[in-house]
Amino acid sequence: MDAEALQREALSAIDAASTAGELDELRIRYLGRRSDLKQALRQVRDRETGMALNAAREAIEQAVAERQARLEGAELDRALTEESVDITLPGERLRRGRLHPITQIRREVEDIFVGLGYEVVDGNEVETVEYIFDKLNMPEGHVTRSPLHTYYLNGDVVLRTETSASQVRTMEAKPPPVYMVSLGRVYRRDTPDPKRYPIFHQVEGLAVDKGITLADLKGTLQLLLRRLFGEEREVRIRTSFFPFTEPSVEADVSCFICNQAGCRVCEYEGWIEVGGAGMVDPNVFEAVGYDPEEVSGFAFGWGLERIFMLRHGLPDIRMLWQNDIRLLEQF
Amino acid sequence: MRVPLDWLREYVQVDVPTAELAERLTISTANVQHIFRRGVVDENGNAELYLVGRVVEAGKHPNADRLQLCRVDVGEGELRQIVCGAWNFGEGATVAVALPGAVLPGGTKLEEAKLRGEVSRGMILSERELELGHDHTGILVLEEGPEPGTPLSEIIPLGEDVLELETTPNRPDLLSVYGVAREVAALYGTELAPTPGNDPPLAGDEQVDVRVEDLERCPRYVGRTFSDLSIGPSPAWLKARLVGAGMRPISNVVDVTNYVMLALGSPLHAFDRTKLAEGRIVVRRARKGEEMTALDGTVRRLDESDLVIADAEHPVAIAGVMGSLESEVGEETSELLLEAANFEPIGILRTSERLGLRSEASTRWEKGIDPYLAEPAARLASELFVELAGAHWTGETDVHGDLPEPAVVSLRPERTDEVLGLETPPETQRELLERLGFDVSDAEVSVPTWRARDVTREIDLVEEIGRPRLDEVPFTLPARREMFGQLSMEQRLRRLVEDVMLGCGLYEAYTPSLVAEDPSPKALRIPEPQSSEQAVLRTRLLPSLVEAARHNVAAGNDGIALFEIARVYLPTGDKLPEERWTLGAVLQSGFARAKGVVETLCAALRLEPRFERGEDPLLHPGKTARLDAGPVGELRPGLLEGEWSAFELDLATLFAEVPERPEYEDVITYPAVHQDLAFSVPEEVAAGDLVDTAREAAGPELREMRVFDVYRGGQVGEGRKSLAFAVSFQSPERTLSDDDAAALRKKIVEALAERFGAELRES
Repeated sequence: MDAEALQREALSAIDAASTAGELDELRIRYLGRRSDLKQALRQVRDRETGMALNAAREAIEQAVAERQARLEGAELDRALTEESVDITLPGERLRRGRLHPITQIRREVEDIFVGLGYEVVDGNEVETVEYIFDKLNMPEGHVTRSPLHTYYLNGDVVLRTETSASQVRTMEAKPPPVYMVSLGRVYRRDTPDPKRYPIFHQVEGLAVDKGITLADLKGTLQLLLRRLFGEEREVRIRTSFFPFTEPSVEADVSCFICNQAGCRVCEYEGWIEVGGAGMVDPNVFEAVGYDPEEVSGFAFGWGLERIFMLRHGLPDIRMLWQNDIRLLEQF
Repeated sequence: MRVPLDWLREYVQVDVPTAELAERLTISTANVQHIFRRGVVDENGNAELYLVGRVVEAGKHPNADRLQLCRVDVGEGELRQIVCGAWNFGEGATVAVALPGAVLPGGTKLEEAKLRGEVSRGMILSERELELGHDHTGILVLEEGPEPGTPLSEIIPLGEDVLELETTPNRPDLLSVYGVAREVAALYGTELAPTPGNDPPLAGDEQVDVRVEDLERCPRYVGRTFSDLSIGPSPAWLKARLVGAGMRPISNVVDVTNYVMLALGSPLHAFDRTKLAEGRIVVRRARKGEEMTALDGTVRRLDESDLVIADAEHPVAIAGVMGSLESEVGEETSELLLEAANFEPIGILRTSERLGLRSEASTRWEKGIDPYLAEPAARLASELFVELAGAHWTGETDVHGDLPEPAVVSLRPERTDEVLGLETPPETQRELLERLGFDVSDAEVSVPTWRARDVTREIDLVEEIGRPRLDEVPFTLPARREMFGQLSMEQRLRRLVEDVMLGCGLYEAYTPSLVAEDPSPKALRIPEPQSSEQAVLRTRLLPSLVEAARHNVAAGNDGIALFEIARVYLPTGDKLPEERWTLGAVLQSGFARAKGVVETLCAALRLEPRFERGEDPLLHPGKTARLDAGPVGELRPGLLEGEWSAFELDLATLFAEVPERPEYEDVITYPAVHQDLAFSVPEEVAAGDLVDTAREAAGPELREMRVFDVYRGGQVGEGRKSLAFAVSFQSPERTLSDDDAAALRKKIVEALAERFGAELRES
């Protein structure tokens, strides 16, 4: 018999088999005890014919096995497909909450400064006039000393109007260098409106060391603002006035909404004001017992709410105090 | 401070575009908040559409009683027909005309139009339309002289850019156009014109009777008298400048005092001299209860802390704040006493705060004005009174104590570089200072009197040198030696608490630390809160969180679960309260969930807390447990609708027990034996007490004992309950045999039977 022709015929038939039944029939037909091949094998007399027939048998057996595996796989797939679920149905979610937006910003800022080697100091919110005003070089008659601007518990004790008192206390407690940020609640007697709330959060930074310069302040603010608003932002400083710094500056970041083309957010200026900064006034150093000839330093203080509102387009600061889950869920 | 640029350019030559000038000033001098335009925009030939016209014919509009129909010569050969609503002029009047196509101040574009059937080919303009004043009762009638068709810009200041500067309180010198011009000259290295104003000839030898009783509050008083003046409107240039600077033109005399204040920064006051009793001025403290009707028409009650300008009898001005109605300059005034004084700032601030009365003058005085400015201010005003009101200057007195000498400060140029991180050669430093009016000789710098309050130390000079160069300062980072950054243990634990709360499904809330009421009667109170909602410094977080939950309920939210980490403020008897970080939470579910969250938190902190029965005014008396750190329980019914639970924990107490470093314990090598044990016990026995007793009895090989079922009824019997425990025994040293486990179990069963009458229920 022509083993090769048989093999060709068998392989093409096996390849065409589409069910396990068909394949089984083919197996019996080509490999069964009564198949031509088996009968021919039984009658083999010479070695050459035997080899040819056995090769054909092996090829057919292998083809059957392969085809069978494939058909079974397809069968399983078909069966599994029938068990399919609607994958658009919701999953079994775990309850989880969200951090308040201000905590998110607070952590972000803390982590940036921890990365720069600063410590994070939580100062007192209730402070003495001495630490909040006197030691920060705030002159008598300065507007923030007025009870119209500041919450006084009594003539001597106030709710902090900025976190700077913790800087004074930190400097009093240890010799330089000092690299610290303090973040937390501050209080000012404002009537609530979309931009102001009598309680808000500040980040204040202080670096005191030998040879700290205004350029160091500029670089630090640039780093912070780029981390917060994007690496492609520009940063500029411009002159300002605060009793506790000299020189005093305001820091601006280039508008991240319009890329300085001019828009409502930056009031068509291209720059957005983020907050005050400056070189620590020598009077502040003297008040804490540091020698202003030996060390210099910079300080800055900004509102966290303002940063968050700018960055995320939140229109009203009061929303941050309403704790509506629908709002908290967004951030 | 609004600075009209044409006015500025009288004092300094600067030819840069307005936006560029604004940016330069913003960086180095004071923030320019806005740039606006006073008057006509000079773009695309717009200004050329404004011409001088002569009214050739004027008569009633045939179809409208209130309109005039005019034919106006604007130098075009033929006359233009223009319809006009004003009647304060007639044939022959010289007027200001805008032609069709002109864009008016404010932005409207003028078109040729038919008004009641008559074509109007232009517009005859009023003062207000040109932004030269506020008068719109009639059109602006110009002086005769200019030919019809002359560009209007040659006759009046048609328009100019105005910068609005937001000045800082240390720079009262910038509250004047001349002061800003000085900065501009310094920034651009151009020349500053000499201080404006030259004394007119003195036409008399009037004795000006001024007595200053309080030289501390009034260090200087220059009084000048004028006669024969006639009150009238100011010329267009003066009105334009005042309007540009944001002030309302009133009359020549008043306008001159305002103009000089804006030009030089030293406020002036003009009294009608005939209304001063005995024509005298006495600068003194008010008498208690003395009253004066101020220019705003309100009667002001004064006291001894107020400084007044009085005549022989009554106060005629609250010094530096506001004049009296009585001594006001009016249309009839012909004799004037001009006050060019100087007042000490804090006194002015106190008086104006106490009276709730602020004025352009008081906002300047309260920042501290250079006493040396009084004289040039008097000089410029005198020149203008003579020029604009036809006055004769008849006398002068200048009362003052010792005026301060210019301070001298030493400067080390290398110090400047050290502070700025930017090199500025000593020569440049000197130059920058001199341009600002400082006198530099070697290392000694003498400070101009107009900066005396602000510049007193070397560091202040460094700022002056740095200001013009802020843009050039490079971006560097501190070299940072001997330092590292890390959150403290407590800060890290607080973050962990936050994260566990999130994982438990709670949202973080921020609630105000000032509240309307607090459960503790000792809580600190704000003596004069501006709102009763924020009057007390809280000692508890829960009331605020309940409020936040209520807001969410009202908003229709469900599954509400809020937490907050904030401080409470506990009175100590010392000056400052104790501020304690506290974790509070409110959940819209029962006791078990709140306790479950607390247990999860404790597990995260590796704490094994003991819950005791507890009580709390905000919580359900039967469903409240207490840890050392605080209570957990169901909210007292009535606080919120439905079933709510809450907890409030003092974080320091909680954190005190957190093990710093857990020690290794072998829980792997030898397997645990697990058993379930159920006991029937009297109803009042607490599960926790059973566990405590079992631990005592079985010792450390009882690894875990946890309730998994509570059952009542059936065979358990009346007044009893069944508690089923999952128990595991384990030893770190060997595998426990069945006999070992049986022995441990026996100890537990016996101890519980003896102590609580517990019966083991065989399954």
